[in-house]
Amino acid sequence: MPQPNRPQPAGRADGADAPMRPPQTIGVARIFAAFMWLGGTSFGGGTAGYLYREMVVKRRWIDEPTFLADLALGQAIPGSIGIKLTVQTGQRLHGAAGAIVALVGLLSLPFVIVLTIGALYAGFGEHRIVHAMLDGVAAAVIGLTFATGLHSMTQSRPGPVGLMLAAATVLGVGVMRWPMLPVIAVLAPLGVALAFVEPRLR
Amino acid sequence: MSEGSGGLIALGLVFAPLSLLSFGGGNAVIADIAQQSIAVHHWTSEREFADLFALSRATPGPGSMLATLIGWKVAGLSGALAATVAFYLPSALLVFAAARVWGRWRGSPWHTAIERGLAPIAAGLFLSGGIVVLRASPSGWPVWAAALVTTAALLCWPRLHPVPLLLAGAALFGIVAVV
Repeated sequence: MPQPNRPQPAGRADGADAPMRPPQTIGVARIFAAFMWLGGTSFGGGTAGYLYREMVVKRRWIDEPTFLADLALGQAIPGSIGIKLTVQTGQRLHGAAGAIVALVGLLSLPFVIVLTIGALYAGFGEHRIVHAMLDGVAAAVIGLTFATGLHSMTQSRPGPVGLMLAAATVLGVGVMRWPMLPVIAVLAPLGVALAFVEPRLR
Repeated sequence: MSEGSGGLIALGLVFAPLSLLSFGGGNAVIADIAQQSIAVHHWTSEREFADLFALSRATPGPGSMLATLIGWKVAGLSGALAATVAFYLPSALLVFAAARVWGRWRGSPWHTAIERGLAPIAAGLFLSGGIVVLRASPSGWPVWAAALVTTAALLCWPRLHPVPLLLAGAALFGIVAVV
């Protein structure tokens, strides 16, 4: 696959306060190809983690605060996180056309592959080893999800308030397994209110 | 395999509402997909559903290519297309519209506060999703250990491509299952 071929900034000193880069027009063909590659290589359903790695870390088509903002907005909307981030990223890169080609590109290869495997699978009899291998795949995918969450958090410099909000989210949704909607309904307004007040107290 | 347009309409009526109920991602509605496919519409047996679910996890792409597989089972290629569109399009349109409205307010103080306030919660939900899936896994601590090793590897080398890690996980667990 094509590597990013334009010169890249060496690094940003501060993710949260970095100036927005001037919008660059990336053609729909490149967007389609990039998301087709993303869809075809994002094994195990952790598409958001792959998207982060491909679009933020490697290609640098969108920056860290933008990715986090899209992720946060997407959490308030139902649907697959990978699909929502794909639509949002495509839209940022090339408007409505970008969103459409990104989504179609993302789904094209998995669609063909899943039907091919499904057709082949009709003949399989032995499942135990296949299921064990799928568990191994799932473990690696979850590792990717964890790494994305931890890396994003350190990059956005959350401060003590942010760290406590993240910990409260993990405790409520991940550990206690409370339903997500009420947890978010409490924590989201709290987080926004604190983020609004915090800079004014300094 | 084909049930004609009646099957396609039924697929749409099942998957489009689920698309709008899947807060927290496609995995949130897997129990509902199972209920509809097995008990309500008899599209699959329990055994077939478990197989299709496992296959959808072994396939690249967003989590629930499960909808595509069930649509294919019901009505072939047209069923696969109908289920895929029904499951993904409503939430895609919703996020597209939301992002357009949202972008107009960029730069205002409360817009910044909302983005900064929600970001740690989003990161927390990411971690929670992994924890919930790990706790649901029947294989216990080896899956936890492998997941944590993968996490450490990716934090040390963020540009590492995940596919070799997935293949290593599949090979390791496959070999242990054989031995």
